[in-house]
Amino acid sequence: MTDPELIEAVNSVFADSFEIPPEKIKPESQIFVDLGLDSLDVVDLVAAIQKKFNVQVRDDQRVRSIRTLSDLYNYLILIRAEQNKG
Amino acid sequence: MPARESPVISSIKFVWLNVWFWTVAPIFSLLFFLTSLVYIWLYHLIVRDQRKTSRLVRGTLNYYGLGILKCGWPLIRVRFVDYGPADQPPFVFVSNHPSSSDGFLMAYVWFEAVQMLNIWPNKVPIMRFIARQAGYISVREMPFEQFLAIGSKLLSEGCSVIAFPEGTRSGNKEMGPFHGSAFRLAQHNKVKIIPLVLAGNRKMPPRGSALLHPGRVVVSKLPAITPEEYAGMTSFRLKNVVRDLMQQHLASHPV
Repeated sequence: MTDPELIEAVNSVFADSFEIPPEKIKPESQIFVDLGLDSLDVVDLVAAIQKKFNVQVRDDQRVRSIRTLSDLYNYLILIRAEQNKG
Repeated sequence: MPARESPVISSIKFVWLNVWFWTVAPIFSLLFFLTSLVYIWLYHLIVRDQRKTSRLVRGTLNYYGLGILKCGWPLIRVRFVDYGPADQPPFVFVSNHPSSSDGFLMAYVWFEAVQMLNIWPNKVPIMRFIARQAGYISVREMPFEQFLAIGSKLLSEGCSVIAFPEGTRSGNKEMGPFHGSAFRLAQHNKVKIIPLVLAGNRKMPPRGSALLHPGRVVVSKLPAITPEEYAGMTSFRLKNVVRDLMQQHLASHPV
């Protein structure tokens, strides 16, 4: 999966699981403020991400520093690189 | 268009309201609290049923809320508009949160209900004591699973739950984003959701102040959203649908 494909897949999680309109899904969008997710929605988001990318991120402390979609893209790109190394 | 009031008259009303309210309200509160404490204690001694005592405390709090609001009369007037009078409890009520007077305005709903509280009321000892007696839920001090268990038990007993899903006072006409816990509680128990829209009390008092501004408040109880209507919606979608509905009502019904 290339970086643009990964970004597209992340965007599809927000569009499919949360029915967020495409115009709101931008790299600079803040997940809590602009997209309106709350702490419980984030649990659903993590579950959807884990399912979509077949990764375990629930206990990763780095997840806590994610604020924007761009942060999320970068985090998943990093996770993928770590998986490929391992 | 109504004639604009002169600044002098406005200032006199503002001063009078605050002098009057902050003289009468503490006296009323003290007398009401002491009287209520005695009769609730006596009732509990005779009836010895915690469920019935809790119901009495919640009903008493409704009277207290109405009484406090009357302390501002006639410079503060409240009107309750019910768009769904035939609905039967229990419900999950969700209200916008423009001001710290919102908790008192819930007295107009007049169903047995507990409020979901933020942390700050629990920091005031007297409010913490009363909230505990009424079984109010300090939602930020417990995990979601515990909240779900407590809320579900209350709903199964016929007691409604009141939530302010913005979590904090918005202080302006635009509502903040909603937290989904109350909506998840409704979905879990398949109960009706009733949106409550408060308008006109943004400055009663404004954020960061204890001073009240004269004006009219309208409490609108919108028609219930039934489990059949929200079936199939994610809780994320449901909270945003309800928020949009409330925002539209707020925009189309200026006070």
